[in-house]
Amino acid sequence: MRRAGILLLFALVLSACGGGGGGTSATPSGAPKTGGTLKVAQETEIVTLDPNASGLLVEREIYYNMYDSLLGIDAKLNFVPQLAKSWQFTDDKTLVFNLRSDVKFHDGTPFNGEAVKFNIDRYLTDPKSVRKSDLSSVDSVEAKDATTVVFHLKRPDGTLLAQLVDRAGMILSPTAIKQAGANLSVNPIGAGSGPFEFVEWKRDDHVTLKRNPNYWRKDKDGRQLPYLDQIIYRPIIDLNALLAALKTGDVDLVRTVAGKDVDGVKADSTLVYRDVPTLGFGAIWLNHSVPPFNDPAKAKAVALAIDRAQILKTVLFNVGVVSYGPISPASWAFDASQKIYDKPDPDKAKATATGFSFTLKTANSQDSIQTATLIQAQLLKAGITVNVLPEEFGRQTTETRAHQFEAALQGWSGRVDPDGNTFSFYHTGGSFNDGVYSNPQVDQLLEQARASTDRAKRKQLYADLQKILVGEVAEVYLTHGTVAQISTNKVRNFTLIPDGMNRFAEVWKS
Amino acid sequence: MFEYLVRRLALMVPTAFLVTVGVFLLIHLTPGDPAVIILAESYTPEAAAQLHKDLGLDKPLPEQYALYMGRLAHGDLGRSVRNKLPVTQAIGERLPATLELGLAALCWSLLLAIPLGTIAALRRGRALDVIASGATVAGISMPNFVLGILLILFFGLLLRALPVGGFAALSDSVPDNLTRLILPAIALGTFGAAANMRFTRSSMIEVLSQDYIRTARAKGASRLRVVNHHALKNALIPVVTIVGLQIGAILEGALVTETVFSWPGVGKLAVDSIFGKDFPVVQGIVLMSALSFMLANLLVDIVYAWLDPRISYA
Repeated sequence: MRRAGILLLFALVLSACGGGGGGTSATPSGAPKTGGTLKVAQETEIVTLDPNASGLLVEREIYYNMYDSLLGIDAKLNFVPQLAKSWQFTDDKTLVFNLRSDVKFHDGTPFNGEAVKFNIDRYLTDPKSVRKSDLSSVDSVEAKDATTVVFHLKRPDGTLLAQLVDRAGMILSPTAIKQAGANLSVNPIGAGSGPFEFVEWKRDDHVTLKRNPNYWRKDKDGRQLPYLDQIIYRPIIDLNALLAALKTGDVDLVRTVAGKDVDGVKADSTLVYRDVPTLGFGAIWLNHSVPPFNDPAKAKAVALAIDRAQILKTVLFNVGVVSYGPISPASWAFDASQKIYDKPDPDKAKATATGFSFTLKTANSQDSIQTATLIQAQLLKAGITVNVLPEEFGRQTTETRAHQFEAALQGWSGRVDPDGNTFSFYHTGGSFNDGVYSNPQVDQLLEQARASTDRAKRKQLYADLQKILVGEVAEVYLTHGTVAQISTNKVRNFTLIPDGMNRFAEVWKS
Repeated sequence: MFEYLVRRLALMVPTAFLVTVGVFLLIHLTPGDPAVIILAESYTPEAAAQLHKDLGLDKPLPEQYALYMGRLAHGDLGRSVRNKLPVTQAIGERLPATLELGLAALCWSLLLAIPLGTIAALRRGRALDVIASGATVAGISMPNFVLGILLILFFGLLLRALPVGGFAALSDSVPDNLTRLILPAIALGTFGAAANMRFTRSSMIEVLSQDYIRTARAKGASRLRVVNHHALKNALIPVVTIVGLQIGAILEGALVTETVFSWPGVGKLAVDSIFGKDFPVVQGIVLMSALSFMLANLLVDIVYAWLDPRISYA
């Protein structure tokens, strides 16, 4: 969100007090210690603790520590068992899960097939549910017995497993849901089965979770997980205050730090900086239904004239990589072959289309405006004029959603399944297809990729898809950022997973 | 006096009404669809349409306003668009934190300003006066978020003397609450402190030049007694008026200060609600602020009349 603009003064003071010594990744040594409170800062306040109605990234992060899903993912984004011990597609419209039998919810009630059915039905039918589109291929769920559930699908769906890792697969205690009623979103006491139990939520102040003494997972030495006694989440919006809180030990862990501060953090021996490529991407979104970008040549000209490496270096301090399409290097479907716009070529751009202008909407943040200004300068070399228009985020999103824009600088946080980075954006009429892009071949590829469960086949389909998207300039892809996690060096055994969700079951504090 | 009070209170009603119209129009005419923001990454057109219906946003604007005013007449400020909480509860939860911060900022501004202003007036033209005046110019010119960040850097990071933001309820830990209160209170109150100091100084200078002061000194009263017993009360009269206006400035400044220091008050709620297009909460907060401001000024006028027997509102 907003940051005060005293960069120079801050940088000066910070460089004066930044310590020496190289920052290294966490080198876990010694046996894990149990106990302690982990204080985590979030970049914005949460709105609800009910996965049914949730839309925010910061909420998901808390859910992953409180609720379990049917499946989990590891650092390579492979599916791992969680509430489900195993699963198989008995045919392409039937998915069977074999469930754990040793799991209890925090309120003491048992986890079983009926609980899974109750939750999925709730996500599918509750009027307030925003999970319906996540589970759009599911027709019904059958609880065969306490440890077996069957998902009957309307159509083949290769993306379903990924959806069930996230909110749409989180299973809460039906007893707690019924008891809490409308209060579930603010007081989900006893509802989860995860490593930590809900204690309290003081709005805009803190969320407290405490250890689940009956958690079903053990570490590789057989010790009961989790190690920590408590987690406290606090919202701290201002990035400078966030870094200050981390340095003083007021918080132990944060997700973001301003690009300008990364080097300082890495050089500080009391802090640990980790990052992995994000699943998301940043791009110039083009509106293909109005001038000038209803003319594909003009879109190509812009793509040819942009210098991505310069943006990455100047604005993002080289934190991240240049983008060649909507699917990031973190994903198994990444395809690096489309480097046609790798180096900026203002002359070729001029030859393709020149002498036009457009308005580029950006968010009101410093990084966005800086990026837009750079783009403006780069495109001027190709005879293209850009009017930069910073707008407040809510307004910009509303306008682009209503197709009232020519170009907009936006990003997407990314999803585990490549379908989540492509279908809604590029399929004709997709929910996030703000640019009104439409190509029947693309539609077909998207539908085929979505329906298949064969990873090799899907990878080929996504490669074909990206060739078209990049070649036709559906969007001008700019960069893939990183998912970062910065903590004090007391936080041990943390694994950063590319979906950016901080999971604390195996973390301990020295 | 009684009729004056009644008249003032009665005048608050149409003023408040105009405020609701103004805020309603402003927030609804600002571009931005709350459904897009609330649904965030779970957005689909169907979910958005359903949300519009649930929130009554699909009705024409005059009808929405009429519904809002109808509920308001029953004391119902509506529910937050983002989390369905009753607005009165959403604001009520945050009010104590803002009141605490505002009070602390006010105390800081007065405790700093009145003694400094008095001393500057007594030592007019000398070194202390010059230094104090220079400091007040800095205090007035510096935006409170700049001051806030500088305080965090200096006292939080450099000296590690104070925590850098956050909040602890008084019921949880009084020392924790107070240590976290210091920096935001200073950031919020310094502008007022600077302004009050200048007013106190010039008002004091004027009072000290009056005949009755000279008479008191001639009668043998000590300097201390003259200042405390005779001069101060009269010098403070214009300052009281300024303080009343500052309550508005403090409410305003709280928005930024609370955001910088992550202080969970009404100001931060206002900022979040404006960006989240949470109309009912924004309307509730503005209405509450307008009423508080009017009441504060009424209070100031009453105190004014009490302090100065020449004033009468008959």
